[in-house]
Amino acid sequence: MSADKIEVRVAAIAQVAPLIREFRLEAVDGVLPAFAPGSHVVVEMPAQPRPHRNAYSLLSDPRDPSAYRIAVRKQEQSRGGSLFMHEQVSEGDLLKITPPANLFTPSWYAKRHLLIAGGVGITPFLSFLPELRRRGAEFELHYLYRGSQTGAYSDELAAELGSALQRYDSEQACRCDLGELLARQKPGTHVYICGPQSLIDGVCSTARELGWPEDAVHYEAFAAPAPGNPFRVELARSGRVVEVDSDTTLLEALESAEVDVPNLCRGGVCGQCATRVLEGSIEHRDTYLSADDKARQDCIMPCVSRAADDRLKLDL
Amino acid sequence: MSKRPEVEVPGVKSRPCYGSVQLQPRARLHLFIYQPDAQAQLQPLIESVDPSSCLQFEVAGTALAPALVDALQSAPLASAIYLAGDESFLWDMRNLVRGNGFTERQIAMLQPLNSARRVFCTHCYTLTEGVTHSPMVCSGCQRPLLVRDHFSRLHGAYVGVQINAEDPEDLPQEEPLS
Ligand code: FES
Repeated sequence: MSADKIEVRVAAIAQVAPLIREFRLEAVDGVLPAFAPGSHVVVEMPAQPRPHRNAYSLLSDPRDPSAYRIAVRKQEQSRGGSLFMHEQVSEGDLLKITPPANLFTPSWYAKRHLLIAGGVGITPFLSFLPELRRRGAEFELHYLYRGSQTGAYSDELAAELGSALQRYDSEQACRCDLGELLARQKPGTHVYICGPQSLIDGVCSTARELGWPEDAVHYEAFAAPAPGNPFRVELARSGRVVEVDSDTTLLEALESAEVDVPNLCRGGVCGQCATRVLEGSIEHRDTYLSADDKARQDCIMPCVSRAADDRLKLDL
Repeated sequence: MSKRPEVEVPGVKSRPCYGSVQLQPRARLHLFIYQPDAQAQLQPLIESVDPSSCLQFEVAGTALAPALVDALQSAPLASAIYLAGDESFLWDMRNLVRGNGFTERQIAMLQPLNSARRVFCTHCYTLTEGVTHSPMVCSGCQRPLLVRDHFSRLHGAYVGVQINAEDPEDLPQEEPLS
């Protein structure tokens, strides 16, 4: 993260689903920057031995400058960021965040908006909704979750949206038939998906089969980078060597070594962190590079991808 | 799915470049929209689709036939649109079709029929149609304009700027536009 971090105070914490907590963040000085629907911030948590940095969608009304709200799902298998938020952060604590960035925004050319959320993937849509309603846009929201874990805000949304909301609690044997849902969409519809990769893949392949244009399908994956094998990186320009342990991403290891790499999504989506690889083979885990780019083995997204063997040499 | 209908010419930032157009294989409905002289250009594409999944509209002038308006409103999401005509027609149609909720990738523009340009005067904002030479005279303010390669997608027009504002007598030689 670069110098323009914002210091925020955790003004309130609320349990909004069995595994999801909401955090209300207020600026310590001045006001928070305005943001567009679908924006996220990267939250820096003061953990030891190195800070955690996770990206979270803003779920507040983009026009509300008084606070940002984020929701964090507890991931037991994660590398610690979400556990830290759940177990270590209390009201009144100070955190640092990046200014909002946006990789998932409504297409205002669309005639209709079909929103499909899975679990905590509801969050970006909460910032879409006020704007869609202000513009009088036609939309429907389909919300898939497991009642014993997620399903945050589901009752509030039902009260607010009425028939524009469909809920599917998989534990109540309530399934969403994606084929049927997409097939009945009217011309001019754009679909937006936020949720687990399996949901994104399901919608994308259904849309493709139906012959939908690719650019009417928008999605945001919120998967956190998974652990992997430890490896060592050599930095060609400085001659330094940085060790990456199995729970640390390459980007985090570089940051700990004070090597600045620009980044935005920290999830392998935006391409900001692209770094040239001079030697070693790469295990690509991003969704930014094309299959051809990946096969060339000369560029890595250090926020998620790792060495396939035990070393890499980077042009840094 | 398909290539973007236009890509930028390297070096000249906003002049659109028209690649070759392929049929969009997954589309359920193919809509061909063309000016009277441009149908021949589309013929090979039209012949390669099943007539039952193909609609053709010839558009003369600026008025849209109600049948075309209906077709745009009722076309399935899996539709592809192919445009042929002169450059300003292509962009007017593209903007209209976009306004009906079609995406960039659903719209394919063929090579413009000729090199005539629509020019947008940066001084009086008048659009002059069918410009083939530069410099030209603005049909609104009568200023001599140099036609630039800077293209406004919204207006489907190239930008025209007054040449040599100090001495309008000293005009560069007129050259045909490409
Ligand atoms: S920061 Fe977005 S791809 Fe790495």
